[in-house]
Amino acid sequence: MPDRFAVAEEALTALEGNESRLYEPFLGLLPVDGLSISTFGDFLHAETVSASDAQSFRLDELQFDLGEGPCWDALETRVPVFEPNIRVRPNRVWPAFSEAIIADDLGALFAFPLLLGPLRIGAIDFYTSRPSELSDLTIRRTSGLATIVSRLVLSRALRLSQSDIEGETDTRRQFSRREVHQATGMVLSQLGISALDARLVIQGHAFAVGRSMQEVSEEIIDRRLSFAVSENQIEASHD
Amino acid sequence: MINETREDRLIDTFATLADTLVAGYDVVDLLQTLVESCTSLFDIAAAGILLADEDGELEVVASTSEASRLVEVMQLSARAGPCVECFTTGSVVSLMDVEDSPPAWQRFRDSAREQGFAAVHAIPLRLRESTIGALNLLSNAPGALRQQDIRAAQALADVATIGILQERTVRESNSVREQLTIALNSRVLIEQAKGVIAHTRGVSMEEAFTLIRNHARSNRMMLSEVARGLVDQTLVI
Repeated sequence: MPDRFAVAEEALTALEGNESRLYEPFLGLLPVDGLSISTFGDFLHAETVSASDAQSFRLDELQFDLGEGPCWDALETRVPVFEPNIRVRPNRVWPAFSEAIIADDLGALFAFPLLLGPLRIGAIDFYTSRPSELSDLTIRRTSGLATIVSRLVLSRALRLSQSDIEGETDTRRQFSRREVHQATGMVLSQLGISALDARLVIQGHAFAVGRSMQEVSEEIIDRRLSFAVSENQIEASHD
Repeated sequence: MINETREDRLIDTFATLADTLVAGYDVVDLLQTLVESCTSLFDIAAAGILLADEDGELEVVASTSEASRLVEVMQLSARAGPCVECFTTGSVVSLMDVEDSPPAWQRFRDSAREQGFAAVHAIPLRLRESTIGALNLLSNAPGALRQQDIRAAQALADVATIGILQERTVRESNSVREQLTIALNSRVLIEQAKGVIAHTRGVSMEEAFTLIRNHARSNRMMLSEVARGLVDQTLVI
């Protein structure tokens, strides 16, 4: 039997450049009626990147407008939020959001954070119209898919802002590369991730703090900035 | 007497390089051996090899020291200096005194002066009608290289070209462009591996390179093989 999650991984990766369709591989794979993928949080502006239907889109919009809801909590705590029966037996109550969705007649809501190393990128929100639960295996594998989505959504955000970034790095290009590669090595070692992801973390962090990759790389090499995992918290820390 | 020993060293160098080419090798290792040979063969303080990337920009792929200051002076020379002139004209460019640099080379001149380099000789890595990079010889004293030194350096540069282009053609048929990309990517991998070691062992980038190189040598591994293992986190040294 083909591994359906592995198939979904490939399908997601193949959607690079078509991020508005990122919801597709999740439908049919998970027992949900709809989902949305959005960016918000530390440095990306609040935006729905991909939504399977109007209901999902509305759930995102509500949470952005109200500044609360499962997606905010998932990103804040860096772990998924589960509401298997939100109408009858909610685990938590959000003053405005819970009120706003009463008429929507929802069953379950699940929110998975989008993270890459220390970077908080956004969330995936799933809903069902009847109460529903996800198995532990499904949760674990969905978290794996969320990592792929994180990578794609962050690349997209960086791509869209490319004109700013390019102008900045181009002038310093001559020495930039060696140091960016060296810093990439340090970050991949600090976080135990691939070189490609480590580079994306540097790029994302540079974007977040409004500096060039070269400047951020120098900070990393000089040990003024580290992404090293401490306890179970991954944060960028300045010495 | 001096000529004899030097001749011996030259023969040794070419014999080593030829052995390497026959036995199978790693391109960055080969270029590293080559630049190090240059410092023992010629009256120079430092040497480096730069290759053109896809955009035609020259990148340092091997140098006698990993010190960022040396890399910087060579990169500046590759932007506006003797190195890029050599690359675009395809001929040897000898700047016998950096103080004679034209105004456009000012940044290169300042950097060279700061590090005590007085003369720079750039030898093209030629492939038929095109040039794929340059070998740079930096010396602490002003003056020209002797004619036979230039001939020897050009022969070494030609070996480097052959080495870069032949590395994989035995197994696969790659274009010149692909061969260059492979060589440049090996360098990227080594820089990343230096970062890994700098973090895990808490050392400088230069020390990290020495550790990687020593590990490769004592385990008879290729430099890029060690670098790949470190970056994939399948190898810990």
